[in-house]
Amino acid sequence: MKIEGTHEIRANRARVYQVLTDPEVLKRCIPGCERLEQTGENAYSVTMRAGVGSIKGLFTGNVKLEDMRPPEHFRMTVDGKGQPGFLKGTGDIDLEEKDGATVASYKGDVQVGGTIAGVGQRMIQGAARMMSTQFFTAIEAEAQARVDEPPPKHGFFRTALRWFSGWLSRAFNRKP
Amino acid sequence: MSDKYVGKRIKRTEDPRLIQGLGHYVDDIKLPDTLHVVFLRSMYAHARITGIDTSEAEHAPGVVAVYTGRDVVEKVGPVPCAGALPGLRVPDYRVLAKDKAVFVGQPVAAVVATDQYSARDALDLIMVDYEELPPAVDVEESANNGPVIYEEYGDNISYKLTAGEGDIEAALASSDHVIKQRVVHQRLAPVAMEGRGVLARYYPGEKELTIWSSTQIPHLLRTQLAIMLGIPENKLRVITPEVGGGFGSKLNVYAEEAMLGWISMQLGKPVKWIETRRENMQATIHGRGQVGYIEIGCKNDGTVTGLRYNVFADLGAYHQLLTPAIPTLTGLMLSGCYKIPAIQINITGVFTNKMSTDAYRGAGRPEATYVVERALDLVAAELGLDAVEVRRRNFPSPDEFPFKTATGLFYDSGEYEGALQKALDMAGYDQLRQEQKIAREHGKIIGIGVSTYVEICALGPSQAMPAGGWESATVRVEPTGKVTVLTGASPHGQGQETSFAQIVADQLGVPLEDVAVIHGDTSIVQYGIGTFGSRATAVGGTAVYIAVEKLKEKAAKIAAHLLKSDVSNVTFKEGRFSKQATRAAAAAGEVPEPVLPAGQAPAGALPEPDTEGNHISLQDIALAAHIAKDLPEDMEPGLSATYFFEPKNFTFPFGTHIVVVEIDRETGDLQFLRYVAVDDCGKVINPMLVEGQIHGGIVQAMGQALYEEVVYDEQGQLVTGTLMDYALPKASTTPWLELDRTETPTPVNPMGVKGVGEAGTIGATPAVVGAVVDALSPFGVRHLDMPIRPEAVWRIVNQQN
Repeated sequence: MKIEGTHEIRANRARVYQVLTDPEVLKRCIPGCERLEQTGENAYSVTMRAGVGSIKGLFTGNVKLEDMRPPEHFRMTVDGKGQPGFLKGTGDIDLEEKDGATVASYKGDVQVGGTIAGVGQRMIQGAARMMSTQFFTAIEAEAQARVDEPPPKHGFFRTALRWFSGWLSRAFNRKP
Repeated sequence: MSDKYVGKRIKRTEDPRLIQGLGHYVDDIKLPDTLHVVFLRSMYAHARITGIDTSEAEHAPGVVAVYTGRDVVEKVGPVPCAGALPGLRVPDYRVLAKDKAVFVGQPVAAVVATDQYSARDALDLIMVDYEELPPAVDVEESANNGPVIYEEYGDNISYKLTAGEGDIEAALASSDHVIKQRVVHQRLAPVAMEGRGVLARYYPGEKELTIWSSTQIPHLLRTQLAIMLGIPENKLRVITPEVGGGFGSKLNVYAEEAMLGWISMQLGKPVKWIETRRENMQATIHGRGQVGYIEIGCKNDGTVTGLRYNVFADLGAYHQLLTPAIPTLTGLMLSGCYKIPAIQINITGVFTNKMSTDAYRGAGRPEATYVVERALDLVAAELGLDAVEVRRRNFPSPDEFPFKTATGLFYDSGEYEGALQKALDMAGYDQLRQEQKIAREHGKIIGIGVSTYVEICALGPSQAMPAGGWESATVRVEPTGKVTVLTGASPHGQGQETSFAQIVADQLGVPLEDVAVIHGDTSIVQYGIGTFGSRATAVGGTAVYIAVEKLKEKAAKIAAHLLKSDVSNVTFKEGRFSKQATRAAAAAGEVPEPVLPAGQAPAGALPEPDTEGNHISLQDIALAAHIAKDLPEDMEPGLSATYFFEPKNFTFPFGTHIVVVEIDRETGDLQFLRYVAVDDCGKVINPMLVEGQIHGGIVQAMGQALYEEVVYDEQGQLVTGTLMDYALPKASTTPWLELDRTETPTPVNPMGVKGVGEAGTIGATPAVVGAVVDALSPFGVRHLDMPIRPEAVWRIVNQQN
């Protein structure tokens, strides 16, 4: 199944690239991430709680970042397994500068199996969009934070609030 | 035989309890200390199981036991397949996967806990290490060069079979036209309203196992489970309580049924498993699943010269009970209701990493009817003839019956032209064609579909069946005169508690309420075959009928004895035996003295039978037969008779379905304008039940034609895993069904009944597809594959514009 989307992040591209590939940041920003450990160069072992609709559960798996071309591109390969099923996929993340902000676009092919495939497949696009919105909103907060201050806190409501205020400011600042 | 009940619209006696929620399905049966079982199922279509860690699950709260393939593989026999075809490959199908999982939903482990929630929670704690293998998903690819599921076979071919008579090559070569078409019969999920469910109770002291299962075949299940579990068959009792529909999906022996029996024997406690809808979609058999290539040859006048059908049957990963046999039924029925001199079917049965296909309402015959009906429509389109005319030109005439087909069958009786004409008249066919022409001129998209079908029912002679084709019945008149019928058929929604009671009540002249029909308990009912293949009334009902006749013979002897007359002088009418002489005597004004049997019953015992002089009621005969003080010499006491009826042939019901549809240009959606069906199922016992069967059958056929499809993705993942994803027809999508029938009794059984359970499903599918294709014929469409979704229709309509 193809998954794609774009997110505008109001931060400098190099900084966005840096936080996007920082395991500490990822651990904080990936929705439901409970554990993220480095297992090799740009390779991590991950435990996260995720689900689609009523099909939820704990997934464990590996994430690998490849083809790294800062500050514009990297490829992410995910392979996870849990009780609700399994998930495998590869996606390309491209960062583009636009009016001082960064447009992150992702495009990937995801394969799911087990209960998720049988029950949640039709909702996966929606769920993926929601998770990526949460993720990139959190990334934006990270990228906007100064390097010397403590990292921002995330969580569903905080992220939702950030997303909403971002949406408002974008809506009002839109050029006619 | 009186005609008070047979042929009448008697309301189902089953319904009051079902409508009030007072019926007892498996899950309604509560036994103390019952443990609950849930199954861990493979999430991969094809994977090696390299390890299973159950330790955490075993210690979870409420968990009593966890079993894996390793625990049962030596203890429980394989899931049986009754299909016997030359060279058939039958993989070893174990109740839990051990080294390899071969379809999504295959049971891998079972958790037993004190309640189903604890059991379900513990499932998440079982760690299975899978090594994923490439799956064989598409049937044609799997047949040719897809990944091989069973290394020992070298390929995915389960069997190849060629059948048919006549020189097909010569027939096609001598045709004026040969038309070819690829057709897809998509996989369907039977979706019985009640899923499967099993409750098993083992008494270690008595060494008796009782299994309550939602099945269509209690006795066959008992035999197979006895073999699988290694328990004497006379210590195993199968009870089918209320069963909420089957459509063939419960005409099977499933891994879960054996597992539950085995677990109960291990733990010495009752264990229950109730299938979830998700499991039902994954691991209950699917129907259809054929991809085939039609070649039909015809003359310029529309006469069909030959038909060849090369088909790839998507069997799934394992054989369930009848999996390989289903496509052979397609081959048998390929002649439809037409004279086709040469027919050939080439079946390639293919293993794929999916759930097994097996019998689903129609079981191979809807595929055949679809093939031959679509083929006739293609002939009509090719020659520019009317679909009805082409059919007429190929009918055998009524005097050609019994009619032999090139598939080796003898059709018992048929009057195809009669049913067709009746349907044409009802629909106003010529008028419809006129209206269609005018509507088209006004830019409307209207289509008319016609199918004239014949089906093979009342399965069947034992020669043609994997495990007996007869059916049994015992009829007893109890001492109080109430009549008990024990049938080997296993009704699960068809209403035979009512229709069998109608037959018996008329034969014995007793009120309907006095007849109780008992079925589905192997400890009470003599061995029987079960309910499937539109057989229960034609075969099981006949067994009941003949058993009653036998019982009446005995009753007549007792009556003659008690009336001090000779059997030849005793007549039976409306529940009473009368001395024939009485008529003459009564006419002359003489009334003979009452003849009473001598009896010295103590006070409080059963009352003495009353002969009312020259008459004696059946009730009194029953009483006399049980008191047994005054019976003819050497006569067995009691009043019961058992009969095992073996039919000499199948029966071949037929009919015509006419469909009118209109397509919405903007959305591609379809609306039924008319639905006319004339079915001939022989003699009708209860028109209301017949109509109910036809209604349901037609709606399920509409499901196949327009909505339903079991979809696996390219990884063999089941995508249509819920009723949100698997579209079923609904009341709102169903038109008013205008039904009528013709009645051509079959000579195969004394009642002349043919069977009707599957007729709707068989006749309707090609008619609906034919109507849509006809509607789209101005756009150059000659065939569309099912399910015909609005999107596909919209694309055709709008890209052509």
